Formats: sequence, C-alpha cells, structure tokens
Amino acid sequence: MTDAEHGLDKAIRAIKIGVDVSEQEALDRELDRFMKWLKPMLAVDTAETKQVLVSHGVVNVLREDCARQGGLAELQEAAPDFAGGFYLVPPIIE
Amino acid sequence: MELRKISIRQAAETVNSGEVTAEGLIEKTLESCSILNEGLNIFTQIAGIDALEQAKAIDRKIEKGEKLPLAGVPVTVKDDLCYGVLPTGFGSPAFKEFFSPYTATAVERLMDAGAIVVGKTNLDDMSMGSTTASSPDGPTINPWDPERTAGSAGAAAVATGICMLALESDSGGALRQGASHCGVIGLRPTAGQVSRYGLNTFCSSFGQVGVTAISGENVITALEVIAGFDERDASTAVCKERAAGAGTAVDTEGLRIGYPAAAFDHLEPGLREVFEQAREQYSAAGFECIDLELPLLPEALQAYYVISLAESSSNHSRFDGIRFGAVEEAGDLEELYSKSRGSILGREARRRSIFGTHLLSQGSYDLYYRQALRVWNLVRREFAAALGQCDLLMLPAAKTLPGRAAAEADFLDAWTEDLFCAPVSLTGLPSLCLPAGQAGKFPVGLQLIGRPFSEGIMAAVCDRMIREIELFPYGIS
Amino acid sequence: MEFEVIIGLEVHVELQTESKLFCACPNRFVPEPNVNTCPVCLGFPGAFPRLNSFAVQQALTASLALNCEIALFSYFDRKNYFYPDMPKGYQLSQYYEPIGSGGHLMIEDDQGNLKKVRIGRVHMEEDAGKLVHALSGDASMVDYNRSGVPLVEIVTEPDLRSPGESRRYLEQLKRILQYARVSDCKMEEGSLRCDANISLRPVGRETFGSKTELKNMNSFKAVERSLEHEIKRQGEILRRGEEVITQTLRWEEDKQETIVMRGKLEAHDYRCFTDPELPPVELTAEEVEKALAALPEMAETRAARFISDFSLPEYDAAVLTSSRCLADYFEACLECYNNPKVVSNWVMGELSALLKNAGLEADQSSFRAEDLADLLKMIDEGLISGKIAKDVLEKSFQSGKPPRLVVEEEGLLQISDHSELEAVVGKVLAENPDSVEKYRSGATKVIGFLVGQVMKETGGKANPGLVNELLVKKIEG
Repeated sequence: MTDAEHGLDKAIRAIKIGVDVSEQEALDRELDRFMKWLKPMLAVDTAETKQVLVSHGVVNVLREDCARQGGLAELQEAAPDFAGGFYLVPPIIE
Repeated sequence: MELRKISIRQAAETVNSGEVTAEGLIEKTLESCSILNEGLNIFTQIAGIDALEQAKAIDRKIEKGEKLPLAGVPVTVKDDLCYGVLPTGFGSPAFKEFFSPYTATAVERLMDAGAIVVGKTNLDDMSMGSTTASSPDGPTINPWDPERTAGSAGAAAVATGICMLALESDSGGALRQGASHCGVIGLRPTAGQVSRYGLNTFCSSFGQVGVTAISGENVITALEVIAGFDERDASTAVCKERAAGAGTAVDTEGLRIGYPAAAFDHLEPGLREVFEQAREQYSAAGFECIDLELPLLPEALQAYYVISLAESSSNHSRFDGIRFGAVEEAGDLEELYSKSRGSILGREARRRSIFGTHLLSQGSYDLYYRQALRVWNLVRREFAAALGQCDLLMLPAAKTLPGRAAAEADFLDAWTEDLFCAPVSLTGLPSLCLPAGQAGKFPVGLQLIGRPFSEGIMAAVCDRMIREIELFPYGIS
Repeated sequence: MEFEVIIGLEVHVELQTESKLFCACPNRFVPEPNVNTCPVCLGFPGAFPRLNSFAVQQALTASLALNCEIALFSYFDRKNYFYPDMPKGYQLSQYYEPIGSGGHLMIEDDQGNLKKVRIGRVHMEEDAGKLVHALSGDASMVDYNRSGVPLVEIVTEPDLRSPGESRRYLEQLKRILQYARVSDCKMEEGSLRCDANISLRPVGRETFGSKTELKNMNSFKAVERSLEHEIKRQGEILRRGEEVITQTLRWEEDKQETIVMRGKLEAHDYRCFTDPELPPVELTAEEVEKALAALPEMAETRAARFISDFSLPEYDAAVLTSSRCLADYFEACLECYNNPKVVSNWVMGELSALLKNAGLEADQSSFRAEDLADLLKMIDEGLISGKIAKDVLEKSFQSGKPPRLVVEEEGLLQISDHSELEAVVGKVLAENPDSVEKYRSGATKVIGFLVGQVMKETGGKANPGLVNELLVKKIEG
C-alpha cells in the first residue's frame, strides 16, 4: 500500500463515511494528487512565523450564567428515531 | 414597478408610502420566480403562500404607520441558512424535508426590517463549491448562457431581476464568483460584521454571510440591517468595539487602488485584458492605481484548502443520523454511521471530509495543518502590508469563465478556481465583487478588497464605476 | 520480586453553574430525558457555542484552590471522535492549553507523613450525554441532558504509590473543591468521576512499566479496591515473567473484578485542533488576584479558626472541618446555641452516626442545625434529659419533625414536679429497704442504683438531679 492508500483507508474508517470500492479507488488517486498539489505550501519559509491561533475576534464576550429552557418538540421532530423521550440508536454493548 | 430600475430603499419607500402593497409586489415576484426557475434551477424551495402571508403582515404594519427599511423587499436565502418556515436542505438529499427549529440571525433581521423571503436558493453539495455544480438538484444555469453554471443561485436570482436581494454565504468565494459570473454586486463583509448563527458553515474560520444585489448602495442598505453583535455568534464581538455597518458617507476622491499585476497571469487566456482595461478605466475615473505584489496567492489557496477541509471533517461530524437527517436502517452503530453519513454527505462533501481527516491525523497534522496555520499568518501580513500602500486592492474573482453545466469538472480544477477569492477569506477583510467588463458575452467581475469595516468606501467606488463604465448590471435584459 | 506501585488519577468534576458550558440550558439533574437540550448542545447545524463566564470563574477558582499556575491566555480545542453521546462528533476541551497547570495538594502517605501530590493540569471541557441500554436489547437510548455540562478535568502526575494514598488524594481533592464551592463532588451521582492509570515496576527501577487504565469506579472505596485488585493482577503477570498489556479495564463492582474494555494497541487519534468558533479565554493578572483573594476558607484555615475562636480540641476541629457542609452545620448551630464544645460533641457523636447510617451529608438531612440548637436548649431548660435528647434526636432525624414537636407528641417532657416525683421516690424506697439500709450504713454509692430505679419507673423522664436530691432528703429524713 502507498502512503496515500494507507492514509485514505485510515481516514475513511475514522470519519465513518460509507464509500464503495470504485469511489475509494478514485479517492485514492485524488488524495495522491491533492497531497502533491500542496507541495508549494510546504516549501514556504515559516521558520519565523507563528501559526494563527484564533481565527476570530480579539474581543471575547462571554455569556452570563443564566439558565433558559428552549423549545423541545421541534428539535425532537427532526430525529429519525425518537421514542419515549430518548433518541434511539442500534444496541450498543459496552 | 420594475425592480431592477430602482434601489432597495426606493422600493421600500413605495411600500412604506402605500403606493404599492407588499402583497402585490410579492405576488408578482413569486410569479416570475416560478417562471424563471423552470429554466434556471435557481430555487430549492419557492415560498408561495408563506411569502404572501408575510407580505400581508408587513402591509398591516404599514397601515398602522410603521416604516420599515426593507418594507416588502423580496429576498432569496441560500439553502445553507436555516429558515424555520421552509425546509432547509443544506445541499444534502437527506434534508429535503428538514424544518430547522430556528431561523438564522441574518434572515431574522432581514424579516424584521420588512423583507420577504421568496425562496431558498440552490447550492453545492453541503455548500462546498463555487459553482452549484455539485448540488444534489443539479447546477443553477447562468442567465447569460444556458450552457454554463451561474456560480451562485442567489446571483442568478438578482441578475434576472426577479429579486432585489440575495442572502448568501461565502467561504472560498461562492458569493463573489457567482456575482462575477452573473454580472451583479456581491459583498463578503468584514469577518464578524454579520452573525453566522443559523448558517451551516463547513468552515468556521472562513465562512461568512454576505449579500448580493445590483448596486453598492443596495448591498450596503442590506448590510446595515444584518450587521452587528449577536450573542449567538461569538465572532460578532468585534462589532462591540465599533459600530457595525458601512460607516459614514465617504469621499472616493483620490483613493489609491493596489493592482497586483503578476496575479493576473494566473487568469485564463482572454481575461487578463478585461483587467488591464479596468485599470485604465479606474485611472481615468481619478483613482491612483499602484503596482504591488501579492506573491503568496497560490500557497494561500492551498492553506485555505488544508484548513477548510480539516474544519469541514469536524464540522460535518455532527451529521451522524441520530438527531437529524433521514431514517437509515442499521443493525449496529458502525452501520448507522457509515450509511447515514454516506447518504447525507454527497461525493464532494465526502471527499472533503475524508481528506480533512487525513490532514488532521497523526503525521499530517504537524506537517500540513500547522504549516497551513503559519502560512495563514503570512497571508494576513501580506494583505495588511499591501493595504498599507493603498486604500483598496483589485483582484479578479474567478480564474476562468463560468464552467459548463453539463460537464463534471475535475475536483482540483474546481478548487483552483478559488485562487483569487480564498486568500482574501484568510484575511477576514471585506471584499466586494462588481462587474469589470466582459469577455465575449460573459460578464467578468473584479474584487475590491478594503480594510476592515470599509464596506461603505468599497460600495461608493463600486457605484461610481458602474456609472462611469455603464456596464452590467443595468444592461441585463 | 518487590514492586513499586505507580498510580496517576484523572478526575472529572462537574462545575456548579446555573447553565451549561456553551449554551443556556439548565445545568441541573432532571429525571426526564432530553429536557435540558437546545440546538447548541444537540449539535444542530448552524448553532455556535457561547462560553459561560461563570464556568470560567469556577475553573479558575478550582485551579487556584489546587495551587495551579494560571494561563492568562487559554482556548478550547476539538477532540474528534464518534459516539452517540457526543452530538457534534467532537468534544470541546482545553487540550493544548489548560487554564491551570503545575499545581499540587497535600495528603498523608501510608507512613503518616505529609506528602505532596503534583497536579499536572486542570482544564475545562464539556460533558457528554448518557447512553441508556434498553433491557429488550433492540436499541440503545440517548439522553443529552448532560451534554455540554461544564467539567474540569484534574490530572495528577504519577505520584501516588498505593490504593490508600489514592483514596486519601480523592478525599482531599473532594474536600478542597467542596470548600471552594466549585462542585458538590458526589461520586455516587456522577458529579465526580475518577479514572486511574496504574503500573508496577521493580523497586529501584527508574522507568515505568506498561500501564492499564481503570474505569467505572463509583465510589472512593471502589477506586481503592479496584486498584488493589489490579496490583495483584499485574504482580502475578510480572512474576510469571510476562508483560502487562496496555489496555482499558472496566471495574465490575458486583463481581469485584475488572474486564477489558478496549485494546489501546492502536492509540485513538483524536485529531485535536483548536476550535475556530470560540474566542480565546483571556484573563488579566488582576482578575486572577481577585479570584485568589476571594477563594473561600479552606479546611486547614477553618480548623485553625475553630481551635482559636471556639477553644475546641484539635481533634474536634479536624473532624468538624473534614467536609465543608459539616463545618457549616456546626457553625450554623452555634449561631443559635453558643456552646461550642457541647455542639461539637453532639455533631461529631450522635448526629454523625445518624448521617452515616442514612448515607447522607450534613446538608442533606431534614434535621437542620437550628433543630439541634433547639434540642440542646431544651436540655439546658431542664425540659428533657440528655438521655431523652438522644432519643428525640433520632426520632426527629428519622421523621423530619422538629424536636420540640417530638417531645410534645411522645410526652417526653422531664418530670420536675416535686409531688409527682416524691410519690415515686417513696415507692422505690419502700420496695428497696436493703439499699436504704446500705446507704445509712455509709455505702452512699448505692444512691445511684436508687436513682436508676426511679428513672425506670418514670420511663426516663424524671429529672435525675432532682431525684437524687429527693432520695437523699427522704433517706436522711
């Protein structure tokens, strides 16, 4: 297995997305091309540069600690499988 | 009343004065929405009765003497923005019947100001793309050429004159490239101006809410309504330090415009000339054009993709088929994940999530992700330095003419289209796309990039140049 | 072969706040599932986190109470993994930059010497929901009430050397956090959770052996027992010359043994990266100073104050301050009944025994500090004897009725009426001529027996001092 193949397989398992064989083969080629495409970025001299840590706003506005109940019915209506007040998933053995 | 001949403010005035009713205005708009949608595939949903009810409610308010800044103004909303009244599809086939339990702040503010949502507009797979080509409903057709994609459905809606305003999102350039390809005005505001609450952004660092219309004045009218602090999106805290919106009236005399000539070498043949001509026109109009360089654009694009893919893999992890999404039969948890996620995310979204996961995994994180964060810093500095030499920067919005609607573009070619837009997203600076000229029958747009919160200046320059060159969008028939 | 035991503990503590860490949902236990939920803590698309200012304050207080260095600039990262109780597909946690680090607390080691246990880090994070496994076995059920509840994770260095030290560390940690009013630290209710890392190495060796992680201990005792069990298990493996496998073990309280949870051979890759939606947590040196000054009185200081202000013996002060609520109870009682030594005796003796039997903390009993004060007053007023008071305390404790009511209902008022008592005294003397004889011949100790007989006759309600007086008077005539 190439590095890209190995990485791709690991990534697909980690991110839990179902893909068929032909798509996985295509993704493998695409990932390889993509990683090569990134080469110029790796060559940028960043020895003296710090990474961006905070993408937004230097000002931070924190929330007051006040509790508020939201509307629930609409939230729960969106669930594919909901019964007895619970969201349902296939049985899990811990 | 012909919507594309008057400004949003004028339209609102005619409704506020009782000259026309919002209901009458919206009735006509809905009609043309349906007709044009047949050929152009602009909408995922047309509001119909809901829009008329809203219009009636506005009319009642006006009868009581209220004045609303956007009274009766028809707007479209991109389908990655939650809107409780119509289904919110996110560009996923699994959300065709999903009613969001809440409405995005920007939509709410438009409606509070009297605007009427006439429909949700088409978008790429999980809004990932700048063409609408990966939409589960197929691409939106460019009003200028039925063979080509529009870039953004909101831009197409504005260009055809069926709507006065489109509320859109922009991460790597969807809003700006759409404006460019349709010959209208698109504004991606300063990061933090407009709340993203209710926007399903695949990339929290760069995703912004913006507006498209037919003039600088119109986009500013809308910006003034939607901008400002919202406790539900922490990034808007920047608006607490200064007044949100476009600022006071501005004088465009003697402004310096930075022109990074080398950047235009990346353009498809035949497009460079449009910008050379634009440079002359801006000079002739009294702007001082200054030569400068933005050498990091290609690397900035790559950094954009590393960061946005990484974030998308994480942002889209919430789509696990448990709390929302279509029902999937599954015997165990792994099957539920794999089936739900495989069907909620389309081919493009799957590609981006998987690549993003790879970029964040051990081994890649240090090498690629952290380097991208450092390049991000360099790009911010490069743009800040450029704006130290001038007031506005000029860049193209799109690298090529709009893509063919029938052909499937190579993924890397499609990503490379963001070469001029994505780097600007890294800076958080405001960018306004307006027509620069045309190549053959196609409009070609340019971006004006300004300092933070300089949207007012950008819009003023925009309207002045549109009058000078007498080009789109007023020429659309 | 002799082994040295190396233990490190990771403790999760729920912070006491009104609302959750990133949304306004109540941070409060409720039996109905999925009631305390909203778009943010359910991970809905477009819902952004908003940091709770008081949770930050609580985490700061916890860090200071544990003698940590405070990071003036910290932030949240995403720990990416899938599980149905984790709605976003990632946990927001201070992975790269914890708010507190380099702290310590003091415990007694197994030899009774004072020992410093280093605390590597204290960081904020959000809790996950809860999975409930249905008995029928055709589905598992998810409750997101706990999703987003604020936690601090407190991680020790591998400084603990025995199960006993580990238990004492937990007791001390609990005491400190309760004193700091950061958390109620009730392990049985899950507001304090503990995982243990444990390895063995031959005495004298520098490097650590391979470790296992123990989970699912529901009490301090369970932590101690599971560690003892694991020391035995690892010791046996090592003595056989085999290697301990690095893995996660689940403590089964019923069977008093561990089972393997998941192999950690392939270490989980959480793909951590800094969250792009939350601004950083910034504190000023002044804010930290203020929090330090506002730190509530800790157990040691309070004990010293009890000794100096109330002239209590060292032993009493130590027992009373062993938990904050017991010390609070003691002081509240003093407010109404100012006799410290008497109150101390009752709190440490009768009351503590009843609390222990009932498995309650002092603040959970319906027998309030005011009730105890009233009970003690009744003794002073001569209304009941000390012996009766003990019965009243127990009855009042069990029934929840105020002690005065119990005395009244049960007719326990002390008999101090001369004529009533004289009759009983006469009867007892008449029935015990031998004892009277003995007394008269100088064996005056026999009076105790006679008092006892009167008490027996009166069901313990007679005022013993008065009985004594009457007996002597009558015999000596």
